[in-house]
Amino acid sequence: MNKFAIGCGGFVVILLFIIVIGALALGGIYNRLVRLQQGVDQSWAQVQNVYQRRADLIPNLVNTVSGAANFEKSTLVEVTNARASVGRVQIDPNKAPADAAKLEEFQQAQGQLSNALSRLLVVVERYPELKANQNFLTLQAQLEGTENRISVERGNFNTAVQNYNTAVRSVPANFVAGIFGFAPRPFFSAQPGAEKAPTVNFNFGTPAPSPAASATP
Amino acid sequence: MIPGSTRASRVVCGALAANSPSHEQGDNSFADNRTGHSVRRGAERCARGRARSPNSALAVLFGLIYFVANSRAAEVIPPKPPGYFADYAGVVSKEAVVRFNEQLAQFERETSNQVWVVVYPKMQSDSDIADYTRRVAQSWRVGQQGRNNGAVLFVFVQDRKMFIPTGYGVEGALPDATAFDITEYHVKPHFRNKDYEGGLAEGINLICQAIRGEYKGTGKTALETRGEGGSAVPGFVFFLVFIVVLILIARASRRRGYGYSSLGGPFIGGWSGGSGGGWSSGGSGGFSGSLGGGGSFGGGGAGSSW
Repeated sequence: MNKFAIGCGGFVVILLFIIVIGALALGGIYNRLVRLQQGVDQSWAQVQNVYQRRADLIPNLVNTVSGAANFEKSTLVEVTNARASVGRVQIDPNKAPADAAKLEEFQQAQGQLSNALSRLLVVVERYPELKANQNFLTLQAQLEGTENRISVERGNFNTAVQNYNTAVRSVPANFVAGIFGFAPRPFFSAQPGAEKAPTVNFNFGTPAPSPAASATP
Repeated sequence: MIPGSTRASRVVCGALAANSPSHEQGDNSFADNRTGHSVRRGAERCARGRARSPNSALAVLFGLIYFVANSRAAEVIPPKPPGYFADYAGVVSKEAVVRFNEQLAQFERETSNQVWVVVYPKMQSDSDIADYTRRVAQSWRVGQQGRNNGAVLFVFVQDRKMFIPTGYGVEGALPDATAFDITEYHVKPHFRNKDYEGGLAEGINLICQAIRGEYKGTGKTALETRGEGGSAVPGFVFFLVFIVVLILIARASRRRGYGYSSLGGPFIGGWSGGSGGGWSSGGSGGFSGSLGGGGSFGGGGAGSSW
């Protein structure tokens, strides 16, 4: 009889233990998902930040370039229009889009602006007075820095989304994710045109690097 | 690459020999007699000895694959330089290296900003210089943790290129336009005249001048602070205490004679799963003894070619 009571008590203790452990584990998984989701939103804010930075540079760039004698107006108009269409894509800067179509729209608008800008920089090559203009060179450095930042932040965003999506879809966490509504998030695809090989620009103006530099296999 | 790889395989051999002292006793003494002999023969002997156990053969194979892959790879992320200023291309005098190092260490003491200058003969990558230098600076974690206040001036002498990637925390004080101004109009003219020392001195001065007001220093470099604080200790101590407690629990439950020793299993599993490995993260001060703290780089910066 006594033995039975001890056995019963032990059983209850084990049961309680399992329940507590289960709750702790669930809480841990939930917290991890929240943390990962926050990471995604945070890196999305950074992405917005650097794109905004580029948009802010454009009026200045357009002003400087249009100051050059008889500069091709069509390229400038294209840049201005692309910037305007970027502004029309309404998207919450503090929350990463949950909708793939929305992200696609955003990416398309920004891609258009990227194309217009790179065309502008190609056209500028034909205007020696611009290439000697200190103001323009500074702007160009800023623009290049911004493009670098964009690619870095896009990469960070994709990494964050990948971590989050992996967590949401893998086995113990996906039950928790299902209960509390953590859905996988879309991420940036490769830039349109990235699948094409880049054009090689042979710059004969500067001295070539030594043969040792180009000998790397 | 070849001397490096043979030396490395020798090191692997040594480590494996140390792991299995009972194994091949005679072989070890043989190795001691031959220490002064050629590295290559040592390596051959090693390979012969290894063939006996599949594990060590695998290790050697992996080592070889690693080195072959490394030598073929288009890109090399160089190891962290020993000081703030490092000249791998030999364009600056020894005294200048010491002087620059002291100047930059003093700058970190005063302002907590880390400015590094590294001169390489050439770029070991096919990527764009901005992309490559950012990744290198990021992997070195230049700048202090939380402030991300690092900037590195990279110079590739044979490529005639330089670039200053800037950490997140100094992007405001050293914007791309300023970085471009420094490299293009102040450093480049010196480099064109082959005056590397003068160009670097001016570059360092201007970078420091630009980011001086951004943060206040503590009078010590991050390395000096870390040397005193010993922040790696608490994590380790926690871990030890954890283990001791576990052992005590296990002993106590065994002495009482209950059949519930299996309880320990789910308990440990559940706890470490829930806390997300929080124990091990306590010892994140792992890389004490080298420069650099935890700065991050977001693609800012500018450079020039000359």
